[in-house]
Amino acid sequence: MVVGTMIGSNVPNYDNYKKVTGKLKFVSDLNMQNALEMQILRSPHPHALIKKIDAGQALQVEGVKAVLTGAELGQAEVGPIVNDWPILARDRVYYAGEEVAAVCAIDKKTAAEAARLIEVDYEPLPAVLDYRLAMEAGQAQIRETSPKNIVTSFQVERGDVEKGLAASFLVKREVFETSSVYAAYLETNCCIVEYDNYKGEYTFWAATQVPYRAQRFYAQALGVSPGQVRIIQPPMGGGFGAKYEHNGHLIAALLSKKAGQAVRLWYEREEDFLAGSLRLPMQIDLTLGVDQQGIILAKKVHLIADNGARTLSGPVIMPTACFRVDSLYRMENICTEGYLVYSNTIPKGAMRGFGNAQMTFAMESLLDQIAAELNMDPMEIRKINAVEAGDITVHGWEIKSSGLRECIAQAAETADWNNKRKAKSKYHGIGLACCNHVSGYRPVLNEYDGSAARVKLIAGGYLLIENGDVEIGQGLKSTLAQIAAEVLQMPLEKIKVLDVDTEVTPYGIGTLATRGTMMAGNAVKIAAEKLLAELKEIAAELLSCEINELEAKDGKMVCSSGELDYAALAAEVITRQKGCALSAEGWFDPQTVIPDANKYGNPSPSYPFAAHIAEVEVDPDTGQVTICTYIAAHDVGKAICPSRVEGQIQGGVVQGLGWTLLEKLVEDAGTLVNNNFLDYRIPTFLDTPEKLTPLIVEPGDPVGPFGAKGVGEPAINPVVAAITNAIYDATGVRITRLPVAPEELKNLIGGKS
Amino acid sequence: MRILTLKVNGATHRVASEDSELLVDVLRERLGLTGTKKGCGAGECGACTVLLDGKLVNSCLLLAVQAQGKEITTIEGLSRQGKLHPVQEAFLATDAIQCGYCTPGMVLAAKTFLEEHGDFTESDLKREMAGNICRCTGYAKIIQAVKLAARGRGGGEWW
Repeated sequence: MVVGTMIGSNVPNYDNYKKVTGKLKFVSDLNMQNALEMQILRSPHPHALIKKIDAGQALQVEGVKAVLTGAELGQAEVGPIVNDWPILARDRVYYAGEEVAAVCAIDKKTAAEAARLIEVDYEPLPAVLDYRLAMEAGQAQIRETSPKNIVTSFQVERGDVEKGLAASFLVKREVFETSSVYAAYLETNCCIVEYDNYKGEYTFWAATQVPYRAQRFYAQALGVSPGQVRIIQPPMGGGFGAKYEHNGHLIAALLSKKAGQAVRLWYEREEDFLAGSLRLPMQIDLTLGVDQQGIILAKKVHLIADNGARTLSGPVIMPTACFRVDSLYRMENICTEGYLVYSNTIPKGAMRGFGNAQMTFAMESLLDQIAAELNMDPMEIRKINAVEAGDITVHGWEIKSSGLRECIAQAAETADWNNKRKAKSKYHGIGLACCNHVSGYRPVLNEYDGSAARVKLIAGGYLLIENGDVEIGQGLKSTLAQIAAEVLQMPLEKIKVLDVDTEVTPYGIGTLATRGTMMAGNAVKIAAEKLLAELKEIAAELLSCEINELEAKDGKMVCSSGELDYAALAAEVITRQKGCALSAEGWFDPQTVIPDANKYGNPSPSYPFAAHIAEVEVDPDTGQVTICTYIAAHDVGKAICPSRVEGQIQGGVVQGLGWTLLEKLVEDAGTLVNNNFLDYRIPTFLDTPEKLTPLIVEPGDPVGPFGAKGVGEPAINPVVAAITNAIYDATGVRITRLPVAPEELKNLIGGKS
Repeated sequence: MRILTLKVNGATHRVASEDSELLVDVLRERLGLTGTKKGCGAGECGACTVLLDGKLVNSCLLLAVQAQGKEITTIEGLSRQGKLHPVQEAFLATDAIQCGYCTPGMVLAAKTFLEEHGDFTESDLKREMAGNICRCTGYAKIIQAVKLAARGRGGGEWW
């Protein structure tokens, strides 16, 4: 039971009771009686022509209901951004793991057996396996329409970078390489599709963070109207950005159509690695010029990012890496050139941090190097360059609130930064890194950014919330319920948040860009305020008092002449409106812009910040890195639920340390060889820092609901550099490539001693 | 196909199953007990954790036929007449759940750990529960939950 005001209170996470008892049905738990199981046949070659596919034997297997190959697909290639998804391979394959054929059958075993009987004749082609070389002469051109394998490029220039560099006291340049990462959500991608033969309509129960975007794209890909595609998004076991529009869903849909039955797609873990999307690896050539005080005078970037074999979100991620960090610090002279390139590898897509995490590693490492050379405290160089509330940054980003300085100060105090830095014990070190991020990002959808919500007061005074942005475990449903409970001053227990369903809930852009609280939260707040106003009007009439005499309290309208609970008001409205419940719609438009042709313009309503400090111990004999303490201070504007914010921070830090120290995708001639949890090591209990302290900084915000900004992605952005900067402090070794390789670190330490 | 007799959460079930079917699949698909999850199919993640005669096992590494004659406890069998087990209460109290997919396995692992250990260090806890993976929480609040549940031990109907 929550005492006091709702906002800022720790409340039980929505559906927690169902989760802890195993009663919550995730998408892979849904029992679709009669749903067939499917198996995809995947290419063993990273790049090859397909000379022949013979599925004859597969069709003979008893229990097989349909077999599908690319030859049967009429349409040209499709795609959510670039039309490079064949759905099933046509005359060639572009990565080892690409979908070549698919079978659905009465059970998984039968489908897998049949898939193995499909014969494919390949003629291997030279493959582009190293994205860093993809644009070089002599590399195969993978697609006719993409010379030098370039998917897209990005340039932004401000001021005069050469002048800035010339005026610099110190210029430092480094090339950083960030690794690809597998999201490793615990529930692999899953989707059930049922095709209605009579109406030509598809119903999906799909794990997707972007149900409406998927609805539009799948409709286009399947050649039907979006009104003929219904997407229901059941609870899912994690997303982290890697469950957007998904090719496997389309294959399941086509199989369902062919078989005349519902089909379930649910990957085995090994297959989920191959199905895409992995984090974009990047090569970041970064140059910074600073004056004697450490003030940034120039920033130059040449960046190459790996798209993989087909396009997911790369065209938005690569530019994000190029220029989001420019609004963390004040700078005027910038020259940035970024390239997104094809390679014959697993498709790369969104993952927590979205390019900003990659660039933050580079930026925070190089600033650290500069601080060391200037004999400056790494903290001071951040403080001297940090953006402030009220700034309009070099790209026109409007910083409406910033708790960055406070984050640095609190983290430093909690970490005992000054004393720890002075301590200088061998192989023990401390490092700092900061970050910025967005709370929603306008360029994601042309038409607008924002969100809509409907709230409905039903029998018993219960409230239904309908919103199109997605719960992936981060607690969005709880946040929305809490906001509504606060506005309406009603018990949280009486609020229900519907699952996203494209035929029920209002259109939503989805869960990405750390936008949930800002966008959906504001939409629900606005809708709830409208509902409150209507409740007051009716209550005033029934209680014979003035509207301004009424107070909402404990799920009731109260005034001096009496009170009416929401159940009574709901019943009253049903009568007045002849069966129509009291509901209100609200939408939130953050007034952001898609940056103009010069990349100028404010794309997010407000920006969260963070400062992390890691204290590490390095074993010189093994190169193993242990994180002793970790402090993560986050400017979240206002924490709607502090416990939930802490959970996001803790989860982000551990994911980040996995990326830095443990997780490495290993390829052999273009084939992923460690696609399992034994050989791809994600953090376990044993890998957690000895002490992890999340700190919440609340400067408020003029735009966020009750002043709240986001935290999901900022939670991971600074982690890598915090750790690698600490490794430098401990050993004198600078890490520029991820993950940290113990063997290499050990040798480099040996080289220094 | 054969008819297996499986004792799950105190109830006896007769279920048709192939010899090659895994316990996790029989529980989920044939008995409809979807509280037990499937995260990797290779005994690496712990999402499929159940108790077999009170001992923790990965149900994705057992054939259903191997579980005959034993007492199987899944997450659905933990609460009694709607009353949550103290470990479940602790997970709720400490907000140790995000997406919830690891939670059933995690709860069973925590319960077993607390039954088998009197005093323990955080190190003991981390080592013993390392077989259950979580990608969302960073484990911090789960550790708090186990410690909270530990404090509540001392007789009563659950311990």
